[in-house]
Amino acid sequence: MEKQKLSLFPLHKESHYITFCIIMAVVLFVAMIFAIRLGSVQIEPDIIKGVLINNLTGKEYYPVTWEESMESIIWNIRAPRVFTAFIVGAGLTLCGILMQVLTKNSLADPYVLGISHGASAGAVSVIMYGYLSFLGGYGVMTGAFLGAVISIVLSMKIASVRKKITATQLVLAGIAVSAMFSAITNLMIYHTKTGSDKVKTASYWMMGSLTGSSWEKLKYVTIAFLVCFGFIMLLTRQLDVLMLGDDVASTVGVNTDKLKLMIILLATMLTGVIVSVSGPIGFVGLTFPHITRSIVGTKHMRLVPASVLVGGAFLVVADILSRVIVAPEELPIGVVSAFFGAPFFLYLIRKGNKKAGG
Amino acid sequence: MKLNVENISYSINSKLIVDGVSLDVEEGAFVGLVGPNGCGKSTLLKNIYKVYKPDSGAVYIDGKDISRMSNKETAHEMSVMQQENNVEFDMTVFDMVMLGRYSHQKMFSTDMLKEGNIVKDALAEVGMSGYEERSFLSLSGGEKQRTLVARALVQQADLIILDEPTNHLDIGYQYQIMNILKNQDLTVFSSIHDLNIASCYCDRIVLMKAGKIVDFGTPEEMFVPDKIRELFGVETQVNINPYTGRPNIVFIPAEALK
Repeated sequence: MEKQKLSLFPLHKESHYITFCIIMAVVLFVAMIFAIRLGSVQIEPDIIKGVLINNLTGKEYYPVTWEESMESIIWNIRAPRVFTAFIVGAGLTLCGILMQVLTKNSLADPYVLGISHGASAGAVSVIMYGYLSFLGGYGVMTGAFLGAVISIVLSMKIASVRKKITATQLVLAGIAVSAMFSAITNLMIYHTKTGSDKVKTASYWMMGSLTGSSWEKLKYVTIAFLVCFGFIMLLTRQLDVLMLGDDVASTVGVNTDKLKLMIILLATMLTGVIVSVSGPIGFVGLTFPHITRSIVGTKHMRLVPASVLVGGAFLVVADILSRVIVAPEELPIGVVSAFFGAPFFLYLIRKGNKKAGG
Repeated sequence: MKLNVENISYSINSKLIVDGVSLDVEEGAFVGLVGPNGCGKSTLLKNIYKVYKPDSGAVYIDGKDISRMSNKETAHEMSVMQQENNVEFDMTVFDMVMLGRYSHQKMFSTDMLKEGNIVKDALAEVGMSGYEERSFLSLSGGEKQRTLVARALVQQADLIILDEPTNHLDIGYQYQIMNILKNQDLTVFSSIHDLNIASCYCDRIVLMKAGKIVDFGTPEEMFVPDKIRELFGVETQVNINPYTGRPNIVFIPAEALK
């Protein structure tokens, strides 16, 4: 019998996989440097190096030859923003993977349970009515997080039939909850005078934006991301089995109820935190699990670290584009990520179809 | 007794699907579960392999109540091959079979070389050597089923439960799969659609209708025209297959009797 070579994904060998990850890490690093450099004020790489290392170590390794304002742009504005872009991209990709395994549907994204619309409704209500103003700058963030939590609780309640949560029910419940919250959001915007600053802020936030990044917020998303990432790396083998369906997974020995609850909790927490910081940035969580899967395969031990790098690097690049394309104005990053992500995704689908169709 | 099912009842939306079923499967036996569509075969099997939790009654393997065992412990005692629903994510045949080893593997101290050999041996057993790197979704129906048999075998449980393992397969693959199962040193409990296949391979036949076990015995005792008519409403003539010595059921369409 002639042995047929039908490779599922190119990077079978462990050494190739590691090389891929290293290359992605280098790409990420270069993208981050560019992201700090580029903008309305161009900055020399030497200054970036000096400012970052001095600030990170707390000592003056490099003599300060730059102006105070430079330091402020790099350290207070661009650096937190670039790292936030990475964590948000990486986190959304991770949540996308989790939701795809949970629903066994490769079209699922982090927002499939209605989290983004819930968060939007929460945030917009805070922007419009200002009732969390005692929290200062964190009011919108808190509102978004509360909205996310409410939407997930609703979805879960609707989806649980006979004490079991099935994938289809979960997706349907998510659609219903999304529709409801998006109606609420639109109603709030409709009721406010068009053209007012509030509407502009709200719509900007709803498109997804990294403009409000700060070290404080970055700390909060990073912790959420690391907790989620750590747990998921411990669960990778169970996730592999869960791809086969709940019934098969349980007969092979996985406690599926516990695992699914764990996935929902982790993904909700991380998505909620991310959306509360950056608004609902679309497409990253749907596309990058796919793209990475087609390169490194479906095994989560390989998929999760690689896709986190790829998704994170993409959002750093998308952030550069969002600031460069219409400089000195700035596009919402959600617009950029969808604009460049969608055609690439379509290309991959067509390529995949051709391969499968022979 | 390998498998004891004691008085299991299970209802869906307050409709009784499995109605007080009790049965025993002896160690090393090959037992077939036969009955018309919708009689509750799959539901009964799902109650046995813990996807459904029975409303009342209990299932014992080697005398141990499986509802008190973790899924991992159950996986050591019993492997399951279900009617495969579609898998959305593709993987290699090797990886697919390796997932059957889940319950035996520990996170940091697993000898992957040994695990790989177990998988390769199982693939050889089902005649799938050389398919390790093939994509699972690109396989034909028979190849997929054989891969799933291999996945059940690597679980290394003494008892295997099958839900119509030869469904949708052509006649060649049907006999191939049953042969593979028969050659294993296992206790088998399987629902089977094709009566002649059941007759040929099973030591014992369980007849099920409307959620109840109606009879239990050897193929010779069970496959008689009266019982088949009661179960399926079809006239038959039963001969002895000269090659197997087992009952051979010939179906007679109603028109042919006029």
